[in-house]
Amino acid sequence: MRLLTVGLLCLAWALPPAAGTAGAADAGDLPVIDAHIHYSHDAWDMLPPDAAIEALRAAGLSRAFVSSSSDDGTLMLQDLAPDLIVPVLRPYRRRGEIGTWHSDPSVVDMLRDRLAKRRYAGIGEFHVFGADADKPVIRAVVKLAAEHRIFLHAHSDADAIRRIFMQDPGAHVLWAHSGFAHPEDVAAMLAQHETLWADLAFRSEQARGGKVDPEWRKAFEAFPKRFMLGTDTFAPERWHYVADHASWSRAWLADLPRPLAENIAHRNAAALADWALAK
Amino acid sequence: MIRRLALAIALLMPGAALAETFSAAEREAIREHGPWPQAALSDPTNRFSGDPGAIAFGERLFFERSLSAEGDVACAQCHRPDMAFTDGRKTARGTADGARNTLSLWNVGQMRWFGWGGASDTLWGASVRPLALMAEMGAPPEGLRARLRQNAALWHDYRAIVGQAAEDADGSAVTATVGKLLAAYQETLISPRTAFDRFRAALLGDDPAGVAAYPATAKRGLKLFIGKGNCNLCHAGPLFATDGFESVGMPHFIGPGAVDKGRYGDLLTFRASAMKASGPHSDAPGPMLTDQARLQHKDFGAFRVPSLRQAALTAPYMHNGALPTLEAVIRHYSDLDMERLHADGAAILRPLHLSKSEIADLVAFLETLSAAP
Repeated sequence: MRLLTVGLLCLAWALPPAAGTAGAADAGDLPVIDAHIHYSHDAWDMLPPDAAIEALRAAGLSRAFVSSSSDDGTLMLQDLAPDLIVPVLRPYRRRGEIGTWHSDPSVVDMLRDRLAKRRYAGIGEFHVFGADADKPVIRAVVKLAAEHRIFLHAHSDADAIRRIFMQDPGAHVLWAHSGFAHPEDVAAMLAQHETLWADLAFRSEQARGGKVDPEWRKAFEAFPKRFMLGTDTFAPERWHYVADHASWSRAWLADLPRPLAENIAHRNAAALADWALAK
Repeated sequence: MIRRLALAIALLMPGAALAETFSAAEREAIREHGPWPQAALSDPTNRFSGDPGAIAFGERLFFERSLSAEGDVACAQCHRPDMAFTDGRKTARGTADGARNTLSLWNVGQMRWFGWGGASDTLWGASVRPLALMAEMGAPPEGLRARLRQNAALWHDYRAIVGQAAEDADGSAVTATVGKLLAAYQETLISPRTAFDRFRAALLGDDPAGVAAYPATAKRGLKLFIGKGNCNLCHAGPLFATDGFESVGMPHFIGPGAVDKGRYGDLLTFRASAMKASGPHSDAPGPMLTDQARLQHKDFGAFRVPSLRQAALTAPYMHNGALPTLEAVIRHYSDLDMERLHADGAAILRPLHLSKSEIADLVAFLETLSAAP
């Protein structure tokens, strides 16, 4: 039989919202800050800067953390919409450097040069895993972030995050994709490191059908000021997903108490950006 | 005696001998790709499924142009039987140019999701989508009912199959019924046994002559397919498909400012559709597993993992027909741009860095999955 009837399971879906959602937010109007946007060189033709800004505004974003390969993409957007763009300096000059940048000392010179010319909120999003986080280039990047009092946006496993904090216990780190870790493990990391934040980019499992997963709810409630949203426009086409993503996020945020929903939607990201940019 | 002779000759040829030898694990992997043909499946949501009269009438409807808005497009225009039920074009052309490549209908009755993005969970639902889409046949439900009635001979035979219900049905019900009749016909489109199927039977049946008859280059390609390439993780089972959706690094812009959202968009379309297994037109309505399909970020830009049976006859390839040959498809995977895939997305995809001869071997293997009917 090709089509299976699953009556009981579906009936469960039809039940009213579970207990614990009392005081839930009506999140349809929530401003959203998207903390994980890239505007890399292969997006520039199909989505010129003015169209990119329009896409972010159409999604109802109040701000967007943008990092790009090359960084010129970020600067083009910031020049057009300084109120909207939170510039984050990516250590990649073009695509293809994800796996090699941390062994390339010239990256540090490039970052130092850019940081001398413009104000950035952070360095990233970069990819580094495990013991690679102890390489000289990464150590130099961690130092640069400390010197400029900006955050690091790290796509890393927990091991690499720990190594970064070993290098600089006061580092401010935005953990991309919450490390694709289980919510319990994310919570453990947040408990261990007070200046660690976690973005939820490319994570779908925190909610289903507009209902927040209980384990994620527990993590959000335990660390109400540490999570934020993100789309991750890792391919140019995904710029056309930013609005869908914001709507999807508002739908599950509505299942949380309003203050917590507001924190995740925009307040936590705004606080991190303001800390970094208010110099 | 002949079998022993073939085996002896094979063992005397060092180059070929390697290709002749399949480990226990390889044999098991090869076993998974059969037997073929699979038994035809009956669709409980379609009361006409397996009905000989409905199948014959469905075939007639398949070639019937009068169902389209302007009376000029039939299903068979894009799904040409002489072209493995595709059209050879990059993207389909009905009443207007479409954005997706025409999928073959061979073995379509074995699927659970239909179309490149799985906008339907029934073959009849999938069959009426092109009827209504303006870019394909441009025939919204009320128009379809009227056009069917205008064709006296067609209406007469339709009534003979559907019964009195035909008179009382509204446009939507008539559309669903037409879809079911078309589906009844398409369920019968089961591709023939191929050189690979004969080889598989020989290998598992300890028939050295049958094994030896399969080209050495195809054998090497098969080893790559189930080995270094890991192609069989997605192109699995007798159909060489998983009925799933993946993003494999293909661009999916359809013009400046527009993208094909793939599975993401089509899952939303499915949810809103009345023409589904759990919907009001189903002949076995009720909750279905397909209703629980979860919308995920990875669905954006993901497309069907197509069956590889008859693939050699269905060029060009991929959801947008962007790759003209099987060799181009293999080169796509060989040189995969990992930055178009999310770092934690389809983790099994890695550039294969295949040599020229490996690419040729894989093409040779894939060609053995096709056969003229």
